[in-house]
Amino acid sequence: MEGTQYMKIAVALIVLLPLAGFIITLLLGKRLFRARSHILPVALVTVTAVLSVYAFEWVVRHPDTAFVWNAFSWVAAGRFTVEWGFLVDPLTGIMLLVVGIIGMLVHYYSIGYMKDDPGYYRFFAYLNLFMFAMFVLILANNYLLLFLGWEGVGLCSYLLISFWFRKKSASQAGKKAFLVNRVGDFGFTLGMFLIFVTTGTLQFTGVFDKAEMIGSGTLLWICLLLFTGAVGKSAQFPLHVWLPDAMEGPTPVSALIHAATMVNAGVYMVARSYPLFVQAHTAMLIVMIIGTFTAIYSAYIAITQNDIKKVIAYSTISSLGFMFMALGAGAWAAGIFYLFAHGFFKGLLFLCSGSVIHAMGGEQDMRNMGGLRKKIPITFWTMLIGAIALIGVFPFAGFWAKDEILGSDFSGGYYVVWAVGIVTAFLTAVFAFRLIFMTFFGKSRASEEVQRHIHESAKVMTIPLVLLAIPAALLGILVGWPPDTGWIHTFLQPVFFDVEREKFVWVGVGGGLMVFSVAVALLGVYVAYVMYIRRTELPGRLAARLPVAYEASFNKMYMDQVYEVVPIRSTIAFAGWLWTFFDVKVIDGAVNGLARLWELLGERLRPLQTGRVQNYAFSIFAGMLVLVVVLAWVWGS
Amino acid sequence: MPGGDFHPWLFFILAAWILICGLGVVAFKKVMYSAASMVACFLGVAFAYALLNAPLVAVVQILVYVGAISIVIIFAIMLTEVQDGGYDLFFNRQAVLAAPLAVAAAAVLTVVVVTADVGQIGDKALNPSVKGISLLLFKGYVFPFELVSLVLVAAMIGALVLARKEEEKS
Amino acid sequence: MNALYWWLTLAVLLFCIGAFGVLVRRNVIVVVMCLELMLNAVNIALVAISNFRAGALGAGTLFSLFIITLAAAEVTVGLAIVIANYRNRRTVQTDQYDELKG
Repeated sequence: MEGTQYMKIAVALIVLLPLAGFIITLLLGKRLFRARSHILPVALVTVTAVLSVYAFEWVVRHPDTAFVWNAFSWVAAGRFTVEWGFLVDPLTGIMLLVVGIIGMLVHYYSIGYMKDDPGYYRFFAYLNLFMFAMFVLILANNYLLLFLGWEGVGLCSYLLISFWFRKKSASQAGKKAFLVNRVGDFGFTLGMFLIFVTTGTLQFTGVFDKAEMIGSGTLLWICLLLFTGAVGKSAQFPLHVWLPDAMEGPTPVSALIHAATMVNAGVYMVARSYPLFVQAHTAMLIVMIIGTFTAIYSAYIAITQNDIKKVIAYSTISSLGFMFMALGAGAWAAGIFYLFAHGFFKGLLFLCSGSVIHAMGGEQDMRNMGGLRKKIPITFWTMLIGAIALIGVFPFAGFWAKDEILGSDFSGGYYVVWAVGIVTAFLTAVFAFRLIFMTFFGKSRASEEVQRHIHESAKVMTIPLVLLAIPAALLGILVGWPPDTGWIHTFLQPVFFDVEREKFVWVGVGGGLMVFSVAVALLGVYVAYVMYIRRTELPGRLAARLPVAYEASFNKMYMDQVYEVVPIRSTIAFAGWLWTFFDVKVIDGAVNGLARLWELLGERLRPLQTGRVQNYAFSIFAGMLVLVVVLAWVWGS
Repeated sequence: MPGGDFHPWLFFILAAWILICGLGVVAFKKVMYSAASMVACFLGVAFAYALLNAPLVAVVQILVYVGAISIVIIFAIMLTEVQDGGYDLFFNRQAVLAAPLAVAAAAVLTVVVVTADVGQIGDKALNPSVKGISLLLFKGYVFPFELVSLVLVAAMIGALVLARKEEEKS
Repeated sequence: MNALYWWLTLAVLLFCIGAFGVLVRRNVIVVVMCLELMLNAVNIALVAISNFRAGALGAGTLFSLFIITLAAAEVTVGLAIVIANYRNRRTVQTDQYDELKG
């Protein structure tokens, strides 16, 4: 086939270049590269971004054939074989675009953001390792290799969240992310085991070919276990608690890992397992319910948070919930479309918030911001684009994706889900523009000292913002128009082959829904405008009027406390019991008891050791005699 | 019958001689008598080797056992000749147990040996000649032979070190 | 009855006499002598088997020669130990050698 040679080289390089960058930078960065540590990683990632675009373009040119390449054998143990196999199909192509381009832009942005950080080389090394793992994850053609990338990105997430590990809260957040993800990964692993036991392979094609033959009970379990992994990785309720804390990491990390790429891995994995999920309606329903609940739940929390990054973090959780809602409702392509668009505008929002934090000299609390519009105009405008894209106003990226999702909820008959989605959209608009208004409008609430230093970020940071703002604004209309039958649907058709595409109705229900959701979003903007610009005393009064609702939102629905009480305290109590009872009494008791037993026995057996040779000789002789008798009896008979 | 080209009675007389002398070693209260009895026993055994068509072993037996070992033992007796006064018993206290054990062992081993299937056995003497033995020794078993020489040297040096008076220290 | 059985029986009896002596005599030099009796018993067995069994190829006789050599070494070292011990303890009584009593 034409071009597969080049594709092999491209795929191999996409995977290997970041790995090489990681190894070289980690080994030489501290001594040799120092402040120039970024050059090699950034160059390599730029090349991989170009190669990713090439791979994407290849998929576009070959819509009907997926690129499959089993590079070499990884595990070969009897019936169990796993290849280092790669698969590039439209789904992978879109992920490649997201990861490659956003990854590259974040790398550029980091040059400015991480300037003069003592861990400069380490940061870029980790970022490259992350790119490697993420590419492995999305290029894998079997579950085990996917899992390798999955764990790899988890590791990088941990390393980068606790990047400033001298800060107690950062190292704690890293641990939290790691542990919470472990719960999900455990489910994923069990799911893999179950898949292997049932189908005898982990190869995507092999598994999916047998999907119809799997019993419905088993299939449900497989799907639920896989989804558990997705819940952990994509920060869905109830395993979402790590993502807000993950904001302890440097902002580029939040943009790349915790908004645009890694957290999408769960969505990607569920979408990849489409042939399994599509057969398990109960699993789909659960996916939808969890997604819907997470969406509104975290949107509700986001409206009262004051940390600029926490707001976006909860927004991300909410968006991911939206994606799962779409997948669960059967709007597979719309979910991936949302993922695609979300990667750009959420990455943009994070990078903008990083720029704001940079300008404010490290301040993250929005109550101490305000009036930044004039001082950092590029950041303001790009962030505004990001916010509009997020809340889904025509014709920005979020609009097309979000409305397709809501539309399919409605047409699928999930009216409750649709209503929740609309409320979520409203809340999203409120908190997004609350963020914009509190940060950029009004009077500055920062101290004089800080105000004097406010400055627009360097070019190396603002240019990525502009470059991300373009797709955030235009991507939707480019690939998503016309709704339900747009280019992205055609493109993803080979992946989600079973989904029937309805023709979108401009007039009537479809159009009405669109207008309605935009109206809701604009209403949200208006509410935010009233509350945070016109009558700034209103939020306080509202909070005083509805203390329960406010406190619940402000305290993140007490999920951290719930975790504190249920798993953490009980684990600590259990560990304490293990220590005071099991270790001290049982283990030590067993060891000491054994020692005492031998001591007693030794005391009893001591007289046997008379020290007289002839006593011993007697034993030997008697023993010999016994042996002769036994052997004669055994051999004789 | 204990075959070979000699009268069977010769075997029984010899066996009685060996066993009685052996019992003598165990039973004589005086150590010197025991030693004399042992020498007599060794001579009997040497004669047995001769009957078993192994003249070389018989000669070596006389040279080494009757000649060397007996002399060494007698030397040791003379060097350690002590008044065994205070010790009435020349058997130790486990004799009561050891006697039945030895009798039982003799019975069991005899039964085992006699009922054992020792394979193809002819009355013809098969022991190799001196030439045959030397061929065996210096061809097939030359390595153990050399090892034994090493052991002998080590034993010689060891005996010297052990038995020598420690002059420099005390 | 085969000839070999008689010789083996002789060896067994001599062996047991020697063993009995080793177990019961209190004079350590007599114990050494009894050990020699046991070794002689084994030698008789070896030479007899070598003489009567086809396929032994004289190895038994050869082994008896090795045993005699090693017995000589053993007696030399053993008696050297006895004498060294006698020098320290002024005794050759086996039941007085009990420093290793547990």
